Amino acid sequence: MSSLAACVWIPLFPLRCEEARHEGLAACPTALLAPDTTRKLWQVSALARHAGVKPGMTVSQAIGVCPTLRLCEPDPVHYDERFARLLAALNEVSPVVEPGELGLAYVGGDGLEGIYGGPEKIVEAIQLRIADFGLRIGNGSVESAIRNPQSAIRVGWGLGKFTAWVAASRAKPGEAIIIPVGGEGQFLAAQPIAVLPLDPDTHRRLRLLGIRTLGALAALPEEAITAQFGALGRRLWRLAAGHIAEPVEGREAPEPIVAALTFFTPVGERELLGRSLDQLIARALKHPRRIGWRVQGVRLRADLEGGGSWLAAVLLKDPTADGTRIAAPLEMRLEQSPPTGAVERLVLEFTAFAPGTAELQLFARDADAAARAGQQHALQSAAREIRMRMKRSCLYHVIEVQPWSRLPERRYALIDFEP
Amino acid sequence: MVAPSRAPLRTDRLRALNVPQPVAVECDADLRPATVGGSMVEAVLESWRIDDEWWRQSIARCYHEVILDGGKRVVLFEDVATGEWFAQMP
Repeated sequence: MSSLAACVWIPLFPLRCEEARHEGLAACPTALLAPDTTRKLWQVSALARHAGVKPGMTVSQAIGVCPTLRLCEPDPVHYDERFARLLAALNEVSPVVEPGELGLAYVGGDGLEGIYGGPEKIVEAIQLRIADFGLRIGNGSVESAIRNPQSAIRVGWGLGKFTAWVAASRAKPGEAIIIPVGGEGQFLAAQPIAVLPLDPDTHRRLRLLGIRTLGALAALPEEAITAQFGALGRRLWRLAAGHIAEPVEGREAPEPIVAALTFFTPVGERELLGRSLDQLIARALKHPRRIGWRVQGVRLRADLEGGGSWLAAVLLKDPTADGTRIAAPLEMRLEQSPPTGAVERLVLEFTAFAPGTAELQLFARDADAAARAGQQHALQSAAREIRMRMKRSCLYHVIEVQPWSRLPERRYALIDFEP
Repeated sequence: MVAPSRAPLRTDRLRALNVPQPVAVECDADLRPATVGGSMVEAVLESWRIDDEWWRQSIARCYHEVILDGGKRVVLFEDVATGEWFAQMP
């Protein structure tokens, strides 16, 4: 973990990938179709936005507004691969790298001064290392990609991820904003509340209360904000006041486990895809590298007939080694937003793992004890969920009261099951 | 039986288990169950008596394990003090 953080942000990363891939695209108003429904726009270039096109519009609406609009089919596998390469490049600067959404990553800065020098030098090292991932257009030198408005990379530096993110979001393209330690409060105070992780309703309520900046929010008593907005309000207040400095947490990166299936003839039937998925999961679970690990991140990708791709990435709330539980969210994705074409190749990847600790038990030496502990853990989770939903405990366990009693009703009793 | 959780035991949240359920019983001339809830008793397998807690409020029960005409096995008892009948798992 690292408390000093650099935030690297490439806005509209998927769209930038397409612009870098297709020559001349950057000069046109461009929009990327949504991966789940190809009838709506996902990301819109600055030129298209200038012409009145907005994300979420239907294709017909967008063409009506901007007839010269160039539409791109999404290729999530390509974006994912580019992002993975970006993370690998950042890892060359610092061993602590935490990915955010596509195009956003945090780099831990603790201890890097000895290698690179001050924050300016560290930021420059980051910019140099990832210049190519700013998706330069043309053949300019690596150095020219820095401090170049054509570059999409924005970097922020500060204490904690939030300060670094706000700095990156305020930086101009190709530039960096460095917030010295101790200067977070002053920097954050001037920022608009939109930089906070807000839902639209909370944002609207804050604006109705006349709160426009983080400084205005932090100037109010913490208790008052908590009373109005609950636990979320407390967190927002603390972020605004610079009291939260979340460290960058490096990801453990065991080698992903990959299982792939190539179809002789492209497959469009969902049932067949579901069966293939089950086979791939079973195969991947048997991989020796998986022993001792529960699966947490799963990615299913499909190469489509005609060159497109489809991707479903799932982060399991409870890491598991149970094939059925791994398959369930992927099958739901196959059902809700299936591939837009016939599948030529189906690839399953276990991308993130959780160690097989004491709660886990499929990998423990004593398999029976492990199974019992695993069942107990599952039962506890289920009991908590039921109590939250039903507002009372509906599960009981039997306890001995007077097992020796001659009166049967005195021997045992029920008591609420509380994990 | 489920293993007890780590939660502390709170006796106010205990729920009785295997509580005797009132049941309508008609007896024959020998004061043995002849019908239970309208079903004929085919056989009385076993009978026994429990006298307990004589040091506070005395409990006296006459238990009968019976087979009903559909083949169902039921354990009944008569509260000797009140003459009421109940069904209960042994």
